[in-house]
Amino acid sequence: MAIKTLDRTAKKIVQAVQEYSLFAWQALTNLYRPPIYWSEFLMQSDIIGVGSLSIVILSGISTGGVLALQSAATLSAFGATAVTGQFVSLTMIRELGPVLTGVMVSGRNASSMASELGSMVVTEQIDAMRALGVDPMRKLVTPRIFSSIAMLFFLTIVSDACGIFGGGLVTVLMNHQNGTQYFSMAWEHLRFPDIVQGLVKPLFFGYILGSIGCYYGMNTTGGTQGVGRSTIQAVVTASVLIIFVDFLITQLLLSLFSGWM
Amino acid sequence: MDVTSTFSPADPPSADPAGSGPVVSFHNVSIAFEGPPVLEDITFSVDPGETRVLLGPAGVGKSVLLKLIIGLLRPDEGSVTLFGEDISSMPEEKLFPLRARTGMIFQEGALFDSLSVRDNVAYQLVQQGNIPDADIDTRVREALTFVGLEETFSLFPDSLSGGMRRRVAIARGLINHPELLLYDSPTGGLDPVTSTNIIELIVKQRDVNRTPSLMVTHRLQDAFVLCTHHYETQYGCMVPLPNGEIDPNTTFLMLNEGRLIFDGTLHQLLHSDDPFVREFIQ
Repeated sequence: MAIKTLDRTAKKIVQAVQEYSLFAWQALTNLYRPPIYWSEFLMQSDIIGVGSLSIVILSGISTGGVLALQSAATLSAFGATAVTGQFVSLTMIRELGPVLTGVMVSGRNASSMASELGSMVVTEQIDAMRALGVDPMRKLVTPRIFSSIAMLFFLTIVSDACGIFGGGLVTVLMNHQNGTQYFSMAWEHLRFPDIVQGLVKPLFFGYILGSIGCYYGMNTTGGTQGVGRSTIQAVVTASVLIIFVDFLITQLLLSLFSGWM
Repeated sequence: MDVTSTFSPADPPSADPAGSGPVVSFHNVSIAFEGPPVLEDITFSVDPGETRVLLGPAGVGKSVLLKLIIGLLRPDEGSVTLFGEDISSMPEEKLFPLRARTGMIFQEGALFDSLSVRDNVAYQLVQQGNIPDADIDTRVREALTFVGLEETFSLFPDSLSGGMRRRVAIARGLINHPELLLYDSPTGGLDPVTSTNIIELIVKQRDVNRTPSLMVTHRLQDAFVLCTHHYETQYGCMVPLPNGEIDPNTTFLMLNEGRLIFDGTLHQLLHSDDPFVREFIQ
């Protein structure tokens, strides 16, 4: 009995992975074949990008500030508080900026995509769209995924900048250190691989949050209760995948740029 | 309700869009969803100019059958032919042009709630991308006038009643002059007056534009009204056919437990020996 349950669960997982892979691939290739709904792309960019700006700014400033507080406490034991700027900027740009922004934006937008598309599925609006001769993959899914990729890229840059600024505020106002020293250390120790790491990650994270949100939304079953379930699954899966993929990309990029470090 | 307008297509569909063959045909179609078959060994056809009424109790697979017709679902076995083309395993991309030639009215209307009534009705025209806005507005107003809802042009679906949403859905289904109309329980859950208005629209579309159609319903009275009435253009309303006549182009199908148990005229339906058919009618 237990083996049967295990067998069924394993098959379901494999099937879900297969379906997601096909879904994500189709959404990706749609960008190379007309029709491309540019107006939908711009509208989603506004919702995802501009709409998420406030949470990204706030979380960026807070994270940078916390980093400065924590690092100053530890670094002062070694008389190295001067490198606070370097510590904050490297941590924000290489790691925390992309991951935090990815998780924050997926909390807001993967859930929004899953619930919006899920509601459309259960009220037969997706079927109606197909019946009217319009491909919902092209009209709804592809613009959302590519808007997520483009917007997460820029939001990560904003988050990085806000994090370094927040760290600077704490350094100057609370730790009573020199602001010029903080910002010059933050800038001077940045290397090309750090920037690459920080800007490659959001491209993957954007793709993950967009495709996962749309996948769960488009595969919603079970009425309004199902919409709620899809929303939760989308946020949880996207967040976990972002953190897991972050580990893989970091490992890969570190080995690629091992000569630069 | 004002149903006196005549929504005359600028480019009306030909009476026989698929040549001499049937518009839709099912051949031994079966489908299942993780369990026993929902539909099993279904064979029937819809000919040009014909209106078919699909009867059956709730949950018997009527909506599934409608979705199979335009490829929203694919059969596990058998073949489905639409406008002379086998769509059973046709790629989704090739299906879109065929679907654009049909009009489907969903059970709850399935209007896009983020779009206004104008944008909902105009959806297909806007997607074509080559029709000027002024022309689209004119056609939307014509379609809304046809269903008696011209005043809802700028409203959103949220502010409409259930019956109004169905009528807007009918307007959306008719805007592109479809060659086949599919109605999925268009009167389900509506009050008798609104139901009669909807049936009147369906009769009007049948008699004015002669569009072949398939209407799913579990309400026998709607089916009988459709069969025993015709649209009188002169009076702008639906009237009973004289001398108890029945419309010769309106015929019946009945589903029970996933199988097609009846295919014939109203007369044959009323005199059927099948115990389920008799029970359903009574």
